Amino acid sequence: MTMAGRTASRTGVAGAHPPPAARRDLGWIGIPLVAVAGLAAFWLLPDDLALLTRIAASALFVLSLDLVLGYGGIATLGQAAMYGTGAYAAGIAAVNWISDPFALLAVGGLAGGLIALVTGALILHAHGLTLLMLTIAVGQIVQEIANKARDWTGGSDGLSGIDPAPVLGLFRFDLYGRTAFLFALAVLVVALMVARRIVRSPFGLACRGVKEDPLRVSALGGSPKSYLVALYAVAGVFAGVAGALTAVTSGIVGLDSAGFPWSAEALVMLVLGGTGRLYGAVIGTAVFMGIHHILASSDPFHWMGFIGLFLIGIVLFLPGGIASGAGRLSALLSALARPGRDGGRA
Amino acid sequence: MTSTLRTALLGTAFGLLMAAAGPLLGPLAGPAAAATIKVGVVAPFSGPFALVGKTFKEAIEVYQAQHGDKVGDDTVVFIYKDLDQANPAQSKALSQELIVKEKVGYLAGYYFTPDALAVAPLIDEANIPCVIFNAATSAITEKSPRYVRTSFTLWQNTVPLAEHMAKQGIRKVVSAVSDYGPGIDGETAFKTTFEKNGGTVVDTIRMPLKSTDFAPFMQRIRDSGAEAIYAFLPAGPTTLAFAKAFADNGLKDAGIKFFGPGDLTQEPDLPTLGDAALGITTSFNYSRAHDSALNKTFLAKHKEMFGSTDSVTFSSVGAYDGVHVIYQMIKNTGGKSDGAKAVDSVKGMSWESPRGPLTIDPQSRHVTQTIYLRTVEKVDGKLENVEKVAFEKQPDYGYKVGK
Repeated sequence: MTMAGRTASRTGVAGAHPPPAARRDLGWIGIPLVAVAGLAAFWLLPDDLALLTRIAASALFVLSLDLVLGYGGIATLGQAAMYGTGAYAAGIAAVNWISDPFALLAVGGLAGGLIALVTGALILHAHGLTLLMLTIAVGQIVQEIANKARDWTGGSDGLSGIDPAPVLGLFRFDLYGRTAFLFALAVLVVALMVARRIVRSPFGLACRGVKEDPLRVSALGGSPKSYLVALYAVAGVFAGVAGALTAVTSGIVGLDSAGFPWSAEALVMLVLGGTGRLYGAVIGTAVFMGIHHILASSDPFHWMGFIGLFLIGIVLFLPGGIASGAGRLSALLSALARPGRDGGRA
Repeated sequence: MTSTLRTALLGTAFGLLMAAAGPLLGPLAGPAAAATIKVGVVAPFSGPFALVGKTFKEAIEVYQAQHGDKVGDDTVVFIYKDLDQANPAQSKALSQELIVKEKVGYLAGYYFTPDALAVAPLIDEANIPCVIFNAATSAITEKSPRYVRTSFTLWQNTVPLAEHMAKQGIRKVVSAVSDYGPGIDGETAFKTTFEKNGGTVVDTIRMPLKSTDFAPFMQRIRDSGAEAIYAFLPAGPTTLAFAKAFADNGLKDAGIKFFGPGDLTQEPDLPTLGDAALGITTSFNYSRAHDSALNKTFLAKHKEMFGSTDSVTFSSVGAYDGVHVIYQMIKNTGGKSDGAKAVDSVKGMSWESPRGPLTIDPQSRHVTQTIYLRTVEKVDGKLENVEKVAFEKQPDYGYKVGK
């Protein structure tokens, strides 16, 4: 269903504006747009920076899932394993040895990438439901290790006492969350640029090839598994950085960061925004967490029901996710301009 | 045609969302009235632990119904934030929002330890007191001088229990706990105290947190030749399965005694535990069946307001007494916002609560209270924790013991 919607909208866009180069240029706009939207939110909602910081860090995590799922076609419900590993690695490093925020992000990214590389090499020979179960298993193992290693991770009490140094030695993490948000936004924007570079590189295209038709990639002499493992590790770095970013900005890491619900929630946000689009991850996270926040603060007791209704609505009316809305809209406009072509798509 | 319909529907949905967002933007517009003191309550109000939030909210409302919502000229308003599971990053974000956006003067609630720990840097920077209604790991109050706790700790419940068991002449005990922070705390507290009093812990069993099949553990307990067990599991389905396995595998009939902290037999769980719970002896800070005039008034008011007292349990009094402490802090500081001063002003404070006499220990800022030894019995056809022995003035034995 998702695939069908996507293909339809793609052809719609291409049909309306034939030169593909124009589409490529349009893609770049997204990154400054995210930055501008983030800065606008910074000025417009100065009291909600805690939420906005969490959105930015979560968007980075969902972005890592998009790399895996949207570009590699790897079905996973264990992406939080990498996020949790990154968060704990950064947290442990911060409590014991280093306090520079950028160094902590590097530690988190490295840890996330390593665990993804190791587990990816072990499990990526599987497909479909088997793979899905293996990813869940990896997530649970990571969570259980975090629970058992109480001396390092604090177990179920959480790892507290993370006190990062000021960013660049100048901007300390303040009560209002200004530094935390701008820091998180900057990291997200840089990550988007890197991710975009990766998915458009020959490597990224090869991964997409594996997703579409692994047999053909092997026939061309490529190794589908090694592409996928590499992609899984790269996405692990992103997830690890996201985990570290959360650890740095919130000052605490809990067992939930490696838990199954977090993987599943990320998947919901990604599907909501639209897979295989990068910006879909950002849009989905912002919309989901924003609506979650609005509903939960207006009615802390029954908000879950409304979230459910909203998700059902999106799946019914925008099966390709919110990010596909733009494509559908332009398809709709061109269809209105040329009424003759409308019937075929409904 | 369908496309137009879709657009229309989407438009409607968007409009509704904007309408929903409206009330949220409302509070931004007007400045807070001078004589309103806001208290932010972070707790689970939805999801599997929603019952906890419900007990908090009901207890707060009962307290306000009994004592009014005014302290001097100031009106006290509670703002609730839902944190459906242990999620410290979210806990910090919500608390930060309460401080920055809602401008609360006090933070309260917190069911899980990591959620409470997450706010330490916030309350220190904003100089706001944080009254913990539940989170029970001893180490929390060491992390900031602005924490006050009105619940209990595992050490506080376990030490008198272990001493009592040793006094009863029990010599060989097995401890069986869930393999997570509080469980291990309970095991350590029990082993240390029990062995100091001349007993032997013949086996320490740590069970997976989510396990519901306890038959192998029951065999291990039986083989160990212990006279009694000390058990701690998180309340809910696991405890239920454990108590049932204990009865079904014949350990109960073999005369092995069942002891544990009172989380195991909290009041809302008793009906589901059923007769399997009969005879379980626990130590805890509150039983709904506590015989005192104050408790009776509390229960009567609760019944009047909410129709039943089925949900009343330890978390209810945790919140009820927490609100009392907040009221006192507001009174003592004359409504001025100064967290450190407010906390100082309640150090050593003593009062009578529905659960019995309470004192805030000046050092640990945790309540020193009477711990009761209770046995599950049928009272008028309803299962209750009937109090047998009272151990007076029990402090938090776990304070500064280290992890």
